[in-house]
Amino acid sequence: MAVMTNILQTDLNGIILKNPIMTASGTYGYNNEYNDFIDVSALGAVVTKAISLNPREGNKHTRITETEAGMINSIGLENVGIEKFISEKLPVLKSENIDFFVNVAGSTIDEYCQVAKICNENNIKAIELNVSCPNVKSGCLEFGVDEKSLYELVSAVRKEYGGFLTVKLTPNVTSIEKLGISAQNAGANAISAINTLKGSKIKISCINSRVQKEIVTGGYSGRGIKPVAISAVMRLYNAVDIPIIGIGGIETVEDVLEFLSAGAEAVQIGTANFTHPDIAQKLVQDLEKYITDNGFKDLNELKKELRK
Amino acid sequence: MIQEKIKKIYKVKVSRIEKVSSNSHLIEIDLPFEIDIKAGQFISIYCNGLTLRRPFSVYYHSGNKIGILFKERGKGTSYIKSLRTGDLIDITGPLGNGFNIKNKKSLLIGAGIGVAPMAFLKSELDKRGIENLFACGFLNKNEIPNNINIDKIYTDDGSYGETGSVLNYTERLINQFKPEIIYTCGPYIVLKTIAKTAQEYGIEVQVAMEKVMACGIGICRGCVIDVKKEGKIVNATVCKDGPVFSGSEVVWQ
Repeated sequence: MAVMTNILQTDLNGIILKNPIMTASGTYGYNNEYNDFIDVSALGAVVTKAISLNPREGNKHTRITETEAGMINSIGLENVGIEKFISEKLPVLKSENIDFFVNVAGSTIDEYCQVAKICNENNIKAIELNVSCPNVKSGCLEFGVDEKSLYELVSAVRKEYGGFLTVKLTPNVTSIEKLGISAQNAGANAISAINTLKGSKIKISCINSRVQKEIVTGGYSGRGIKPVAISAVMRLYNAVDIPIIGIGGIETVEDVLEFLSAGAEAVQIGTANFTHPDIAQKLVQDLEKYITDNGFKDLNELKKELRK
Repeated sequence: MIQEKIKKIYKVKVSRIEKVSSNSHLIEIDLPFEIDIKAGQFISIYCNGLTLRRPFSVYYHSGNKIGILFKERGKGTSYIKSLRTGDLIDITGPLGNGFNIKNKKSLLIGAGIGVAPMAFLKSELDKRGIENLFACGFLNKNEIPNNINIDKIYTDDGSYGETGSVLNYTERLINQFKPEIIYTCGPYIVLKTIAKTAQEYGIEVQVAMEKVMACGIGICRGCVIDVKKEGKIVNATVCKDGPVFSGSEVVWQ
């Protein structure tokens, strides 16, 4: 009997994914929510919504708005907290064989460490550190913009957590390479790049000669940020030796190829999940078709060719 | 086919599209199979290149056909208006929780485009033989959709039915019809006012809310409102926990 080989298998040097198509934190819920549209277990991995030590209510003002080529969100890390995640969400991930990364957020090193420790105790295979949420007033963004703070945070988390650790970087810095190197030196297994860009939209309406304005400020995501993300991945690829998970505006297989070419080993689909809730599974199929249609043996061979 | 096995995303054909009032259009789509939809549930339409799908309450549903009533308000609805019979559209749904229909004498109040889910609800109540009165407010006569079965119409300018906002008549409707439950959909201020009035009269009220949405399935937390639950104020998503809420659980702003 012939052995079925998985041509999309992706080795992130520490964890093996069945394919390189992941879904980005905040756009995919905690576990199987997208089963309404696709078979979630067919994806490389789902990255959970950011999870903090304690539950968070999130922001009060307008949370989302559409822009010309994407959207701005200011959810404010609303989440159920790690305890409820472990008791209610984790069993579903396990019973449905969904591969996943837990996205971890915090406002102090101690908070990150406590969540990481709980992940470790529960044998969670992979976590992604959110050091770059633009929508909370104190805390995690500072870690994402300062090399020294990032090094301290990742080193501290590394001590508590033995599994696969990726650090999600913000593009809102002068040199993302330096932050990548800090994360690598502190023991990260991979870099996820990029998180959202800081963005604002001013909604203007005029009633009886009086202008009314509503300003929505938050994280800008979607199609419009792809060039920023590609540039970040290219620069990181030249600066670090650990794998890069590319994120930012991916909607088509051509976008995936572009990220692989820039140096990403895997990719995450974010905002496009809202537009096309079946897109992640479609990209798995499209990528497989691209590889076979173009006569490549597997994804690794395609990556080599793309990076020549 | 079992409902649960069907994924909630389809590319379907537009079977009808027409202008039905001065500022609203009807689009009807033909599903390849029958699905179960409750009044108050919605579908979300992908609009040609726009990031966010646009949610619409179902206006009517029979067999394989779903009707949506919409007003042209921006890029999304302008795209939908441009569709023609036979065009394919990409929809998700049915999404959200519909009205929790009670076997009680029912007053239905719609305002403007909020008439859509109320018309669907009325047809459901009629099917079940539940006594009801459907009242609706519009700006003027030209705003009233064609072929709609409304019992009492109010127009702001008095061009049809009684003059003034439907809100001015809510108490009179309650006193004359003596409903045991009120269902309503319309602008926020209408929902808020009706919820308050219903509470004053001790009448159960269900409101269908509206908010900008991204995921449509409760995960992105983009469309939350404050609700009271077990004595605490918590977030509820309009898309998944709603769009229909009990008027008494909503924390009105």
